[in-house]
Amino acid sequence: MFRASLTSIARAGRVALAAIALLGLAAIAVPDETLAQGTNPTAQAVTEEQLLQALQPGGEIAGRVSIPDQKATGLIKPGGQDWRAFHQGTMFWVTIVALVGMLAIVVAFYAVRGKITIDSGLSGLKILRFNAFERFVHWLTAGSFLVLALTGINLVLGRFVLIPLFGPEAFATVTQLGKYAHNYLAWPFMAGLVFMLLVWIKDNIPDRTDVAWLKAGGGLLKKGVHPEAKKFNAGQKGIFWSVIVGGAALSVTGVLLLFPYLAGGYADWQLVQMIHGVVAAILVAVMVGHIYIGSVGMQGAFDAMGSGEVDYNWAREHHSLWAEEARRKQGAQGGASGGARPSPQPAE
Amino acid sequence: MARMKFLCDADRCIECNACVTACKNEHEVPWGINRRRVVTINDGTPGERSISMACMHCTDAPCAAVCPVDCFYTTADAVVLHSKDLCIGCGYCFYACPFGAPQYPRVGNFGSRGKMDKCTYCAGGPEADVTMAEYEKYGANRLAEGKLPICAEMCSTKALLAGDGEIIAEIYRERVVTRGYGSGAWGWQTAYKETVAI
Amino acid sequence: MLVKRKSLGHDTGAARRARHPAIVAGLVNEAVDRRTFLRRSGLAVGGLAAAGTLSLGAVRKAEAGPMQEGVPLETRKNICTHCSVGCTVIAEVQNGVWVGQEPAWESPINRGTHCAKGASVRELVHGDRRLKYPMKMVGGQWQRTTWDEALTEISAKLGDIRERSGADSVFWLGSAKFSNEGAYLYRKLAAFWGTNSVDHQARICHSTTVAGVANTWGYGAQTNSYNDIRNSKTMIIMGGNPAEAHPVSLQHVLSGKEQNQANMIVIDPRFTRTAAHATEYVRIRPGTDIPVIWGMMWHIFENGWEDKDFIASRVYGMDAVREEVARWTPEEVERVSGVPGEQLKRVAEMFATQKPSTLIWCMGATQKTVGTANVRAYCNLLLATGNVGSAGTGANIFRGHCNVQGATDLGLDVTSLPLYYGLGEGGWRHWSRVWEVEYDWLQSRFDEVPAKGGRDARDRKTNMETPGITTTRWFDAVMMDPEQVDQRDNVKAMMVFGHGGNTVTRMPEVAEGLKRLDLLVVADPHPTTFAVLGERTENTYLLPICTQFECSGSRTASNRSIQWGEKVVEPIFESATDYWVIHQLAEKLGFADRMFKNIEMVEGKFGPEPQPESVLREINRGGWSTGYCGQSPERLKAHMANQGAFDLVTLRAPRETADVGGDYYGLPWPCWGTPEIRHPGTHILYNTNLHVKDGGGAFRARFGVEREGVNLLAEGSAPVGSELTDGHPEFTYGVLKTLGWDADLTQAERTRIETQGGANADAVSWSTDLSGGIQRVCLEHGAIPFGNGKARAMAWNLPDPVPVHREPIYTPRTDLVAQYPTRDDFRQQRVPNIGHTVQKTAIENNIARDFPIILTSGRLVEYEGGGEETRSNPWLAELQQDMFVEINPADAAERGIAEGQLVWVTGPEGGSKARVKALVTERVGRGVAFMPFHFAGWFQGVDQRAKYPQGTDPIVLGESVNTVTTYGYDPVTGMQETKVTLCQIAAA
Repeated sequence: MFRASLTSIARAGRVALAAIALLGLAAIAVPDETLAQGTNPTAQAVTEEQLLQALQPGGEIAGRVSIPDQKATGLIKPGGQDWRAFHQGTMFWVTIVALVGMLAIVVAFYAVRGKITIDSGLSGLKILRFNAFERFVHWLTAGSFLVLALTGINLVLGRFVLIPLFGPEAFATVTQLGKYAHNYLAWPFMAGLVFMLLVWIKDNIPDRTDVAWLKAGGGLLKKGVHPEAKKFNAGQKGIFWSVIVGGAALSVTGVLLLFPYLAGGYADWQLVQMIHGVVAAILVAVMVGHIYIGSVGMQGAFDAMGSGEVDYNWAREHHSLWAEEARRKQGAQGGASGGARPSPQPAE
Repeated sequence: MARMKFLCDADRCIECNACVTACKNEHEVPWGINRRRVVTINDGTPGERSISMACMHCTDAPCAAVCPVDCFYTTADAVVLHSKDLCIGCGYCFYACPFGAPQYPRVGNFGSRGKMDKCTYCAGGPEADVTMAEYEKYGANRLAEGKLPICAEMCSTKALLAGDGEIIAEIYRERVVTRGYGSGAWGWQTAYKETVAI
Repeated sequence: MLVKRKSLGHDTGAARRARHPAIVAGLVNEAVDRRTFLRRSGLAVGGLAAAGTLSLGAVRKAEAGPMQEGVPLETRKNICTHCSVGCTVIAEVQNGVWVGQEPAWESPINRGTHCAKGASVRELVHGDRRLKYPMKMVGGQWQRTTWDEALTEISAKLGDIRERSGADSVFWLGSAKFSNEGAYLYRKLAAFWGTNSVDHQARICHSTTVAGVANTWGYGAQTNSYNDIRNSKTMIIMGGNPAEAHPVSLQHVLSGKEQNQANMIVIDPRFTRTAAHATEYVRIRPGTDIPVIWGMMWHIFENGWEDKDFIASRVYGMDAVREEVARWTPEEVERVSGVPGEQLKRVAEMFATQKPSTLIWCMGATQKTVGTANVRAYCNLLLATGNVGSAGTGANIFRGHCNVQGATDLGLDVTSLPLYYGLGEGGWRHWSRVWEVEYDWLQSRFDEVPAKGGRDARDRKTNMETPGITTTRWFDAVMMDPEQVDQRDNVKAMMVFGHGGNTVTRMPEVAEGLKRLDLLVVADPHPTTFAVLGERTENTYLLPICTQFECSGSRTASNRSIQWGEKVVEPIFESATDYWVIHQLAEKLGFADRMFKNIEMVEGKFGPEPQPESVLREINRGGWSTGYCGQSPERLKAHMANQGAFDLVTLRAPRETADVGGDYYGLPWPCWGTPEIRHPGTHILYNTNLHVKDGGGAFRARFGVEREGVNLLAEGSAPVGSELTDGHPEFTYGVLKTLGWDADLTQAERTRIETQGGANADAVSWSTDLSGGIQRVCLEHGAIPFGNGKARAMAWNLPDPVPVHREPIYTPRTDLVAQYPTRDDFRQQRVPNIGHTVQKTAIENNIARDFPIILTSGRLVEYEGGGEETRSNPWLAELQQDMFVEINPADAAERGIAEGQLVWVTGPEGGSKARVKALVTERVGRGVAFMPFHFAGWFQGVDQRAKYPQGTDPIVLGESVNTVTTYGYDPVTGMQETKVTLCQIAAA
């Protein structure tokens, strides 16, 4: 399935290139000869068959229209059928795999590993992990993403799952609302992305500790194993970068889908839509994992984004370097001054 | 039951746009929505041909296949129609349509797509036939009155044919045989997976 | 995937049907409805044997489908108000509102079809950009006024101007949009006012055709018809783009091309939408039509392809043409026109040998300084190959507006009275008899012209017989030194009925002329460019006139078929009919009693108005010369009611048909005699293959019987069944007596003729005999009333008796000017024509270096004429939103101009300029640019939208091409040159 989708995307990419090349050619090709003697326009007429045969994959038979709507110039665009095949095949299955597959993995993981508890128990000592602004940014992004994801998934799967349950009218109403929600919540989501990037990028630069963390499997697989980590461990960094990169891709493609008049043509919009769909599915999968580990999957993890304060023991087990740093800093702030060495990870 | 189709004989089409304005007139189609349009290929050079294009009412219509709210339906005459009550203006049918048929009024704060509008083959929509309710959303329902689409009926050179696929194919075939040339039944391969064999 | 909705009962096709059990039943029972189906699928019934085996399918039985449920729907038949093809429009009316248009299947002309304009005419009556009430300009602002106030003020001002400057100082511009009755009344109004300065669009359309064709074989009109083109085996379309200008005509052209596998040759500087369907396209340099025609004839004479018998029996002066043609060797033709000899030879051979052949032309031929000569050359090609006067042949002249033929026929022309009666005493006396007004009174209405500018004085009678000022030159007559204007005073006032203001060349000077007028009255459904162009502040009136859909009357299509249009709805807003306004003016000017003496009045929207039927009857009573005498309103209405009876190709109804049996559709003129004798009309002019009673004829013996010892009458050729088997002159009472045919006159006819003629009764002719007896008797004997003459290959009375090539005034080929100069300066229609001086000056100033691109102009399918109506129609306006110039890719590349970019097109006169979008296309050859002529509302880069009365500005505005077109007038008719001038194009 993934292979198929990649081919599709690649094909769509060629479509776009071909379309651009065609446009370019149309503008440049200026045969400068007087009409040959004995022109018989009827005999020289183009036929559909010739044009279809000459058509590059994903290209279109296009001409001139007098109306300003330049997307009307495309007469026959067989690429529509490819997009349809992608949408009905690849997109459908990718979404199912991403959603159902990841849920299955999470459930399996829970069954095997159970909830990851704090090995050393609660210390009762709380340290501030995320301040109010960080938490606001997180929830802004998370909340809008949740709606975007659900309304998005609805477009792919709702027809098959929900119409039989609720009937077409109710479904259409909800989906219509979903479309508005999707269009409007895209903006807070994008704002959240920008803030996240600004606030957390410095803590998410990969470094050597990440290698060790990954080698130890993040300590997720085995009880009692706690590889060192700074404010964010490699797993979280992965989430961060997935959100940033995936979110950026969704934002760019989303804006183009929202304002198709901004740029590109038919083939471009198709490509953009395919990217949007596939990236969204992947990000949904990632987020399912993230939500699991941040909630039921791990004792004490939710507090980080809940109250913002985490238990010191939790911090020590999962973010030892950061916990130490934070504790030192708290101490420094509490009494002694000047003696503190420059913090490698300045706290917020 | 007939299998309704369109066939534009490009060797007759002169880009007079009667089909376009007849459609506007019949259905009071607003500015900016072009249910039908005429595209000229190889403009200005020997080889030039104009083709009038609208929804071709495809067999196994891609628009219907991709619609997330499943708002399309095919009538017994094989006319592909949709329900504006269900349509959410997502644009998927436009991505899938090989003929650029779906049109969207620009509405909302982002000028985003309103409910899709397209050629109805002058067959209205899901509302009761020949009622104001139907007219306001989809325009006239000529088929219910025993008439064919106005664009074809008013085509200046009788280039645009509408009616049962077999009959119009026969008309076209006969023309090609008589005159000895034909640039093809434009869009038929794409829409109906068949062409008019001469 | 889901093809059919199953879950929703109310949405399924099956369920929909189930709600209409009657329909389903109908389907089962009415399987034979195939005919309706085939007709509606655009197929001529018959000739499709294979379809017989096909099942009908599911076209359902008709049931009422009104826009408003439960309100009765009425249908009315009218004629499209755009081009001259004459497409029937079927209007559906509900509660007095025009709610829909249906295909008019029965019309043999359009068979249900329309072009973009015809398919959207409902908007003309439906639209909200019409002029809603009378308005006047006060202190530079438009103000609403009433009809009464406006007409009273206008009449008073006209009276003052007449007092001060004479009757000729008012220029009456009429319209090809008038019905025949409106056009006739307007001409009559001008006559009663006392001037011959009454003109209309034909001046700038086919005036040169009318002059050229009438001077060749008798009448100034299309000889055959659109439908008859279906018979042609070879057709040349030269200087015309009917695919855009007359789209429905292409139905006949392309059907003919297909059915006969005919040659369709397009000769044009531009690869048009028509050319795209040609079997041979010949690109020529604009303005070289005569060399191309002579080049073809060179091959024809060289190879003996000419029709020698035809020439011998029916053509005068072909030898003179031969002499001129001999100079146009293939080399010279190629040097001048750019057309290779081999191609021209092939085309010539097809035209001369694969007959019947027809020549179709439009403005490309006529709008030239050599317009009349072009037309004459075309006629010569037809005569040399024997392609006139039979099916599939002829000069198929496609006229422009919906009633330009009728308005021409009815005398909206500075050189004639209604129906081509000349301005001489005979013509005036004829009409004064028909009108029952004293000739002396009519004469008293005209000015005396004092001697000036070295010219003699004119008394009233001479002035009455002197052609007026043309619409191409009125502004010169406003601004020129009074000594130069050959009438009592300059033009001071203009009355414009139904005419655009952007239609004549040299628009910057037009604007200046408008500014200087003492009075400007624009009567039109729209404000038109006249309302905004002149920057006037006072003495300007806009009168809302309704369209022809809001009144009834007849109109004459290009093929001379006359069609009666039924009123669709009452005039909308405060608009009024032409009839009412003309009557009101006549009343306020004090001669309504005389003018409407014999015309019945009926109650109209604003009170009594002339009844169009009654006006047509008066036309019938005087229309002998052109055979406008047999088309009574009753006969025309019967034709409209029985359209389906007429044959698609012959246009004739079977003899057994009730009311219209044996008639040709629309009784194409000449329809001889009184309506009672039921002449069928004449489908094909000069056709000797038919009895005169069946619409046969011969070339008109209009130019005498002999010249310099050479016979001008036909030799051994006469219409089938004629008792006179040889040529003969036109008929008079005297000629009847000579033949002894006068015995066939009834006593009433004889009395009438003798009373009318008095001492000179023998001179009463077929065209002045108000009894109709002479025509009736001629027909009985199978003789054609106007005589049986030869067509003139050489027309000695024209400036160039045999057409000669003359380079356009502004030509890029300055090297050819010495050899082929334009005509010397001279005077015409009361003003000087200084074309020669202009050409000489252009050469001296090296204009061709600074303005290297030839500029030509033409039509778009979406718009018509000046474009106010069509640019105000959103369904059309959406399709052409910007004025543009077509420029060849090579020229564009040289100038760094990209598709869609704004450019300045500059003209060689007075720094004129227009800002338009570039359309880079190979439709035009290198060195040639094309601009459509329908735009206005921008002037030299300035948007004039705010100057229209509020709410009446057309949706689409743009620069007019005529801002940059230049000087140049045909020596015969004063036709302007719009097809060849020079320009420069630069990125804006």
